[in-house]
Amino acid sequence: MKITFPHMGSPLIYTKLFELLGHEVIVPPKPTQKTINLGVKYSPEFACFPLKVLLGTYLEAIEMGADTIVSSGGNGPCRAGYYGEVHQRLIRNMGLDIDFIIFDELKRDYKGFINKLKKLKGQHSWFDLYKIVKTAYKMAVSTDKVKKFIEHKRPYISDKKKLNKVKLAIEDQYREIKTEQDIVRVEEYAFKILKGLDIEEKTGAEKLKIGIVGEIYVVMESGINFNLAELLNDFGVEVEMSHYISEWIQENLIPFVSHEKEIMKKAEDYIETIIGGHAKQNVGHIVDYKERGFDGIVHLKPFGCLPELVTQSILDKISDDLDLPILSLSIDEQMATANVMTRIEAFIDMIKQKKYKRSSDHERHVFGY
Amino acid sequence: MKIGVPRALLYYYYFPFWESFFNNLGCELVVSDKTSEVLINRGIKNSVSEICVPIKVYIGHVFNLLDKGVDYIYVPRFISIKKNITFCPKFLGLPDMIRNSLQGVEGKILSNYIEARSDDISNYKNYLGFMDKLGVSRSTLKNAAKKARKVWLNFREKSRQGLFIDQILNDRIITGASNNEITIGVVGYVYNVYDQFISMDFIDRLREMKVNVLTFEMLETKKIEEQVGKFAKKMFWEFTNKLLGAGYHFIHSPQVDGIIHITAFGCGPDSILGPFLDTEAEAFNKPLMRLRIDEQTGESHLITRIEAFTDMIRAKKEEEEGGSFR
Ligand code: SF4
Repeated sequence: MKITFPHMGSPLIYTKLFELLGHEVIVPPKPTQKTINLGVKYSPEFACFPLKVLLGTYLEAIEMGADTIVSSGGNGPCRAGYYGEVHQRLIRNMGLDIDFIIFDELKRDYKGFINKLKKLKGQHSWFDLYKIVKTAYKMAVSTDKVKKFIEHKRPYISDKKKLNKVKLAIEDQYREIKTEQDIVRVEEYAFKILKGLDIEEKTGAEKLKIGIVGEIYVVMESGINFNLAELLNDFGVEVEMSHYISEWIQENLIPFVSHEKEIMKKAEDYIETIIGGHAKQNVGHIVDYKERGFDGIVHLKPFGCLPELVTQSILDKISDDLDLPILSLSIDEQMATANVMTRIEAFIDMIKQKKYKRSSDHERHVFGY
Repeated sequence: MKIGVPRALLYYYYFPFWESFFNNLGCELVVSDKTSEVLINRGIKNSVSEICVPIKVYIGHVFNLLDKGVDYIYVPRFISIKKNITFCPKFLGLPDMIRNSLQGVEGKILSNYIEARSDDISNYKNYLGFMDKLGVSRSTLKNAAKKARKVWLNFREKSRQGLFIDQILNDRIITGASNNEITIGVVGYVYNVYDQFISMDFIDRLREMKVNVLTFEMLETKKIEEQVGKFAKKMFWEFTNKLLGAGYHFIHSPQVDGIIHITAFGCGPDSILGPFLDTEAEAFNKPLMRLRIDEQTGESHLITRIEAFTDMIRAKKEEEEGGSFR
C-alpha cells in the first residue's frame, strides 16, 4: 500500500501516523494553482471548492505513485461528508484503479470501521495501534501549540528570515519523532529557540488582533487561502483561527468530549441549531473573539459553501450588533490574489483607524480634554 | 389572524397541508403572488450573491407577503423527514437567515422545527409553539393537524395518479397530446419544476412537444427507496435522495426514453447528485440532459435545448425500433 491522504494544513501528523504503522507514505503536495486546475478540470462545476482542490491533490499524489487514499467520511448536512463517495466515483470514472479507505463514524458502520482499521494496522497489535494513534494525536496537540505561538508572536519578530529557519528546524525535529517522550523533548526545544528570537511585542492601541473563521478546509489550508495568517502577521496583526487540527480530532474522533459546546452557545442568538459544517461554531467564535477583545474578523468561505452562506447572510447583522468589523472572502478557482490583497489591506487600515479613534476618544475622556 | 405563506420552496409539496391546518386553527391564509421578475429581483437584491436561486426566490416572496400586511409569515425549519437524513443546510438555517438578514421582518416570523419519520409532517407536537403565538388550544391543534393530514394524503395520492403538482394546486387542466410518443423523466426539486417563472413552464413545453413527462412525486415511495437502498451511504438530504432514487428508476425503466435533470444555479446537493446520475445514465445508455436555471436564463435558449434533446431521443428511438423490426 502506498498511502496518501488529504492535504489540510500540515501533513506532518498523518504522515507520522501512517509511517509509524509501517506504511509507505506518499506525502500529498501542498496545493498550488496546478492542483486547483487539475481538480477543477475533473470535478462537477458546482461542487464545492475544497472537493475540487482535494481531487487535484489526490490526482497529483496518484501521479507520484500513491495507490491508496485514506480519508474521513462524515455526516451531513454539509457536503464534505460525502466527498469520499464522490471522489471515488470521479477517480474510478477516470479509469484509475485506486483503493479508498474512508473512515465514517463508528456508529454508521461498526464492522466496516473495524475492518478498515485492521487493514491499516497490518501486523501491529490493537494496543500498538492505540499507542501510535495516541502519539500522532499528542503530536497534533504539540504542533498546534507551536503554531499558535508563532501566529501570536510573528508580527513582532522583525527577523522573518530567521524565524522561517527556526520553523523548518522545528519541523525537522517533529519529523523524527517515534514516541510520546520524543514529543515532550521536541516541544521544549521548539519553545526554547522560538523564545530566543528577538520579539518586540506591541501593546495598547498599536496591538491588533484578528480572528479567522470559516469553513475548515479553507481556514486550515494556507496553500489556497493566500497564506492568510502569515499575510496578516506581516501587516503587524496577531491572528487566531477557529480551527486547529488537534481540536478537530478532539471533536470528531474522541468520543464523549466536546469543547465546542460553550462556543456553540454563544451563537444561539444568530443560528439556533446545527446546520452543518461549522457554521454555528464559527458564529460562536466570532462572538467569543469579540468578548476577548479582538479587533476584527476575516470570514473565509469556499465558493457556494452551503452552511457558510447562511453565516455570510447574517454577518452584517452580527457585525452591527457587536460593533466588530468583519471581512468575508469567498474563495474559488478564479480568485485573483491581487484583489484579495487590496481588500485585506483596506480592511486592516479600517480597523486601525477605528481602533485609533476609539483609543483617542478614550484618552480624551480620561484626561478630560 | 393573517398568516402568510411564501409561494416558494416546499410550498409545492406541503401547501395543501398548511392551508387546511391554518384554516382549521382559525387563521386566514395569504399566499404570496406568483414569482415574477419584480419579485425575484427583490430576492436577489436582499441576499448574498452566491446563494442558490430558490432561496433568492423565497426571499422575494417574503417581501411580497410583508407588502400584503400579514401578521405572520410562516417559515418552517425543516430538519428531517426521515431518520438520520436531514435537509440542505439552507433549509436548516432558513429562519435564522430570514430573521437576521431582512429588514422589516422582526417579530413577524412564525417558525417551528419539523422533525418527522416520513413525508407526513402532521404530528401536532411539531406545532406546539403555535399554541401561545396563535392562541389556540392543544385540542384545536391536534384536530387541525389530523384534518390537514387527510387533505395532504389526498393530494399526494393525486400526484401518484400522474397529475402534476401545479395542476392539482391550481385546478388547472394541462392540454397536450394524449398520444405521446416519448417519455421523459424529469429529475428536479418541486420548487424548480413547478415555479412557472423559474422553470419557464418547461413541463408544458414538453407536453406541447408530445412528450410524456414523469416526475419523482408520481412514483411510489417504494420504487424510490429501492434504488436509494443500493447505496451503502445515502446522501444527507432527503429530497436529493428522492431525486437520486427517481433518477435511477427512470434510468433503468424501459418506459422512460430520456432524463432531464433540472437544477438551479448554486444548488450544492445537486452538484453531488449530478455525477451519480451521469455515470449511471452513461452506463445504461440513457440520454440525460442537465438544465441549469439561473436568474437570467433566456427562454428561447431553454426551448432550443429541449427541442434538440427530444429530437435526439426521437431519432434514437426510431432507429432502435426500426432496427428491431428488420
Ligand atoms: S437543495 Fe439546492 S436548490 Fe434547494 S435550497 Fe439547498 S442548495 Fe438551494
